[in-house]
Amino acid sequence: MTRMSSFRMSAWGWLAFALVPLIPLPSVAEGAAAAPVLQGETCSVPGLMDQIRRGLASKSPAYQRYLRALLREAAVTLPGAELQAAFERETDPVMAEHLAAALVARSEREADREAMQVVAKRALEDRDPAVRSATVRAMRRTGALEKTGDLYERLMRDASPEVRMEAATNLVEDNKFVYAGQHGPATDTAVAAAAASSDPKATAKILGTLNTEKLGAEAAGTLQGLLRSDSAEVRRSAALALGGVPAEQMGTAREALVSLYRGERDTGVRKALVQGIAQLGFASAVPELQRLKGIDPGMAPEIDAWIRALETGLQEWELILREKQRLQQAP
Amino acid sequence: MPPDSSAPSASSGEGPSRWRRPLLAVGGGLVVLLTGAALLSRGAGDGAEPARAAASKDGSQGTLSRGGGGGGSGGGSQEGAEADAAPRRFESGTCWRDLERFNEQVTLGTFREWAAPLLASRDGVVRAYLKERLTELIGNDAGRAQEVLGWARDAQGKEFQVFLSALRDSEAVQQPQVAAKLLASGLDATLEPGRRAGMLSALDTQKRLEPAALDTLANFAKDPGSGEAGWAATRSLARVMKKDFAQSGNAAPYLDKLLTIGTDSPDENIRYLAQSMPMHAAPVLDAASTERYSRILTSEGNEDGRDAAAHNLSLSQDKAKVLELFAQTFPREPSVCVRWALFRFSARVAGQEALPVMAKMAASDPRFQPQYRVFEQLYASGVLDFMRVWNSLPDQDPFGCMDKHD
Repeated sequence: MTRMSSFRMSAWGWLAFALVPLIPLPSVAEGAAAAPVLQGETCSVPGLMDQIRRGLASKSPAYQRYLRALLREAAVTLPGAELQAAFERETDPVMAEHLAAALVARSEREADREAMQVVAKRALEDRDPAVRSATVRAMRRTGALEKTGDLYERLMRDASPEVRMEAATNLVEDNKFVYAGQHGPATDTAVAAAAASSDPKATAKILGTLNTEKLGAEAAGTLQGLLRSDSAEVRRSAALALGGVPAEQMGTAREALVSLYRGERDTGVRKALVQGIAQLGFASAVPELQRLKGIDPGMAPEIDAWIRALETGLQEWELILREKQRLQQAP
Repeated sequence: MPPDSSAPSASSGEGPSRWRRPLLAVGGGLVVLLTGAALLSRGAGDGAEPARAAASKDGSQGTLSRGGGGGGSGGGSQEGAEADAAPRRFESGTCWRDLERFNEQVTLGTFREWAAPLLASRDGVVRAYLKERLTELIGNDAGRAQEVLGWARDAQGKEFQVFLSALRDSEAVQQPQVAAKLLASGLDATLEPGRRAGMLSALDTQKRLEPAALDTLANFAKDPGSGEAGWAATRSLARVMKKDFAQSGNAAPYLDKLLTIGTDSPDENIRYLAQSMPMHAAPVLDAASTERYSRILTSEGNEDGRDAAAHNLSLSQDKAKVLELFAQTFPREPSVCVRWALFRFSARVAGQEALPVMAKMAASDPRFQPQYRVFEQLYASGVLDFMRVWNSLPDQDPFGCMDKHD
């Protein structure tokens, strides 16, 4: 290989090696199996489908991930109509998910704007809940929620709990990984879907970790409504979500959480309410938290941990959360 | 894939821009991590998609935020943030005839020969597969891991990358004898500097570094002749710190070594990397670390190093001391970029209670008056979280400091 003359003049580390021309390698193969003849060729829909179908039996997760990635990579150049027809014919959930993901990739790359609608329609209408679930998964960590109207509210009313949870997972992961909590309409879509659900577990899944920093005023009102849910897990997740609302909604949210705390009996909900109050006030929440200690002495250790974390004066919520966990774990 | 194939290029000309590049390259997602606004996704085994929305002021879909110094504790999204920010690929995939048989029949003994034609291609998808397949073949077998490490001593180009990436991600690399061999190889002076750097980079998946390994890495990194391998050693040390700190809550042994490198290394690139990397883990600084970073802030010749010191000092336990230090340093600081760091990180030290200090800074340097008004308005609106303040700034780079890094 090219020997680098000096640190200053060389490209660094991995980049250096990426730039070094390849040199033919000596054979070190052992064993009886003849080397496969690896020839690159243009992908076709039937060829890829066959390869993926056979690959499903492989014991190598790496190979299965490769096939999934390959189909998505090739999606833009594969014939759209052929791909769509294959998707609509497919009844095996795993294959349907692969094909749906390819259609979503085409839509994402604007090779086929309508492809997302085809996937969304099947997510709603297929008779097999396993296919509906698989199709929902194919939209995960994409921009599907921007292109599919009230899809997620409708999915929350799906008869299958599996479909509802897959849809909830999409909303959580899209907001976290695609929008980083910074896209208000995506946050509002998640809250609307959570409120449309009659499945407390799905609602709690959506709201429990939702970043509501860009939440709209209407959605904030919806969250406050969920504080009155009969389900403790819904109340708990709504309290956590309200802790992160934008500045203009913080006062109302804080009042709602304090008010609910006084009448709340569920310990898990009370812990979430305290966390929400802490997040809405940082150090200024300490006097309120001190007052709440008198309502339920059993909550005193939890409230004290929050007070200690807030009194560190840290100015970022993630750091305060980390500090609170550290303080509670300390011997 | 070992992160940081975007490690700094030293081929550009002399001058500050050459060493400013590293921090932006380090971890790929540092800029993103610090803004806390434009987290890049990392799919769980699937292709990554770029974040759609950043700190767009109207909440509409926006472009990635450019900010790079807003602090950021690195909360739940840190892994995604520091993960390699792979660009989206739009080229079509290539289908490989006989790859199925390759997958089923390949062994560690045949891998190198069989994979060669695939590695010679420009197919990044199949290269990622080869890396993962080799990781599977290594498994938790120390002997296999050491065999692959042996290959890496003479492998070239993409082959070298795949071998070490696979080893880095294997279960076996956590075995003490494998990690020790990897470290020893990285310190082997008979190897080329870039190769040693690659080997030392592959140590960054270790869950922790024992005191002896920490000593070895730090002593090597601060050695005047360590070069790019020393840079890689420093980065691995810092990355392991982040993981170990998240798990154990104790960053002290690592921070001590990084501060030693950051003070003692004669190489500005390495020194700066050591000074800046702790911001990924965001430890709260005790009195001793506060003192050491204070010295860097007031004596480091590299302005980026002083900027990094201000960043890290903003998480000191002793807020009053740091705020006073920032106030005293600001008028003496010649660089507007470091002044901007002192100004904004004052808010990270003490929130709106820092406003009087920031007002004095703005009074002594009128260029900061518009910035002061923005901070004042944001705190008056009720915003508390420094990351939200940062994300709400109409201009996160009012003095063009980030442009210097592009």
